Parts: sequence; structure tokens; C-alpha cells
Amino acid sequence: MVLTLAGTIRGARGLLPVALFVMPFGVSFGVAALKNGMAPDQAIWMSLLAFTGIAQFASLDFLQASVPYLSLALVILAVNARHVVMGAAVSPWVNQLPIGQRMLVLTFLTDPNFADSQPVFVNGERDVGRLLGGGLVLWGMWAIGTVIGVMGGRSLGPLDAFGVDVVMLCFFTALVAGRVRQRRYWAPILIAVVAAVLLKEIMPEGWNILAAALMGGAVMALRGEARA
Amino acid sequence: MTPDPSTVLALDRDSVWLIIALVACVTLTSRLIGPFIMRVVPITGRVERFLDGVAVSVIAALVASSLAGQGEREMAAVGLAALVMIATRSPVAAMVAGIALGAGWTYLLG
Repeated sequence: MVLTLAGTIRGARGLLPVALFVMPFGVSFGVAALKNGMAPDQAIWMSLLAFTGIAQFASLDFLQASVPYLSLALVILAVNARHVVMGAAVSPWVNQLPIGQRMLVLTFLTDPNFADSQPVFVNGERDVGRLLGGGLVLWGMWAIGTVIGVMGGRSLGPLDAFGVDVVMLCFFTALVAGRVRQRRYWAPILIAVVAAVLLKEIMPEGWNILAAALMGGAVMALRGEARA
Repeated sequence: MTPDPSTVLALDRDSVWLIIALVACVTLTSRLIGPFIMRVVPITGRVERFLDGVAVSVIAALVASSLAGQGEREMAAVGLAALVMIATRSPVAAMVAGIALGAGWTYLLG
């Protein structure tokens, strides 16, 4: 496996249409951060340093007089637990890189660029730039959106009217639906969907996704063995 | 001593920096740890299938978990996106169709 500049640029270009839709979420975060008492510069730094949409929104609830840091850490861990399995899923390719490149690529691992590049790696892509470039363009748009948000995003009004709120859902759905033609993915997808919905009732947000992902993986591993 | 009323509600800047640092560190750790763990796991055929199953499942679970808390508009948008993807194999076409449905629904039904 390699990591090239050309591959990274290709990856960034490929995910640009999706990343453009991430910008409005950055705007919403900027607006929400100010509303919850964060300073504009801090909201921007948070988007640059943490680069984690759902977790950043979740952390705004913790902006209070005496911050419960331990609870905050647990919530962020739960919301981001899926990164661990996503990282594991791309490890066969990423772990072939030198340590510095590996850490660089993983720092920009998010749902959209993971969902975009993992199937491409399975199909033989050798350049991890696909993952890094996608992450970089998402990161840039997320930060630009946050800047717009803190500079006066409130005047833009609610974004639902433009259908922006369903963008990521539709993108992820498309990537899952892209696998439906391959029968071997039916069982893990079905198990994961059912498990995620049922476990949501009894587990804190985030853990249900991790549990559902592990169950989907287990089903896939076991079925393959039965057929062999 | 009574605190100045204008500062009572204002959030202490240093606490916010600490929150930012904590969120950033926990998130970065979650991103780095998966491949680190996998360095000691031999990649057999079964492990490979497991990881491939996890990869598609985590995204499917993300969508399902999010939809479970939402209404018919989001369901319809996602359903259309899935159909368009299966028909055209173009994620961008699927996204545009889903967004258009979401926007149209809000416009027509509020």
C-alpha cells in the first residue's frame, strides 16, 4: 500500500460533492456553539482539533458552571466508539503504511471517507490517499462551515427546508445499498439494522451502533465458514 | 462577596479549552486504536470477513439508529436514496434524489 499526493488529491476531489454538504452542518455547529456560550475562536478551534460532528454537538450540553468532565469523556467515547471498528476494518490496508503516515491518515478517519474508501480498498485500490484526501476535504468544509456559523449563520435560518438534514443519511444509505447486489452482505446488513434499532432502547446512544456493527461482522464471519 | 452579575452566566474560557482538549483527545484515541489493536490479530480469512461485515454493518447501523428517532420524511428520503442507488449505482444521484425529496416534503407539507 502507498500514500501519494496524487492519490490524496484524487480522494479529496472524489468526496468534494459530499463534503460540500458537510459545510451546513459546520454552520449549525457554529451557531449552536455560540448559543451555548462558547466563544467564536473556541468554536473554530474545536472543529479544527476535534473534527467530530456528533460528538461536538453532544459536548455543548456540558458547557455549564461546573463541567462534569468524566461524564463528558464517557459520552464522547460512546459517540465515537464506532471509530474503533472502522479503524479495525481499514487496518489491513492502513497498517501497511509507515507509522507516521498511518497516524496522519487515521487522524482524518470519519464516517463518510471510511464508507467511501473501504469498498474501494476491498476492490484492490492500493493508494490510501483515497481515505486521507476524503478526510481532508471533509475537515476543511467542516471548519469553513463553523467559521460561517460563528460569523452570522443565525441569519441563514433553519436548513431543513433545503433537505440538508438528510444529506448524510442518504449518502450512507446509498453506500449500503451499493452492496445489496452482493448477497453475502444481506445478513450483516439486516442484523445490524435490527440490532441498532432494538438496542437503542436499552443502551446509551452510540454503544448500540458499536454492538450492531460487531454483530453484523460476526454473522458475516460465521456464514462464510459454514459455506466453506 | 457577591459575584458580578454579568459574569455569573458567562462560561470560564479555560474550562472551555479543557472541554475542547478532552473531546479532541478522546476522539483521536478512538480513531487510532482500531488499527493498533489489529496489529496483534493475525488476518485470516475469517477475520477478513468479520472486518468486511463490520464495515458495512457500522454504516447500516448508523442510518438505522438515526432513522429510529425520526419521522416519515426522513424514512421516505432514505428509501428513495436506496432505490435510486440500486437502479443507477451512483451515490451522488441517490443523494440528490433524497435531498430533493426531503426539501420537497418540507415545502409541501411543512
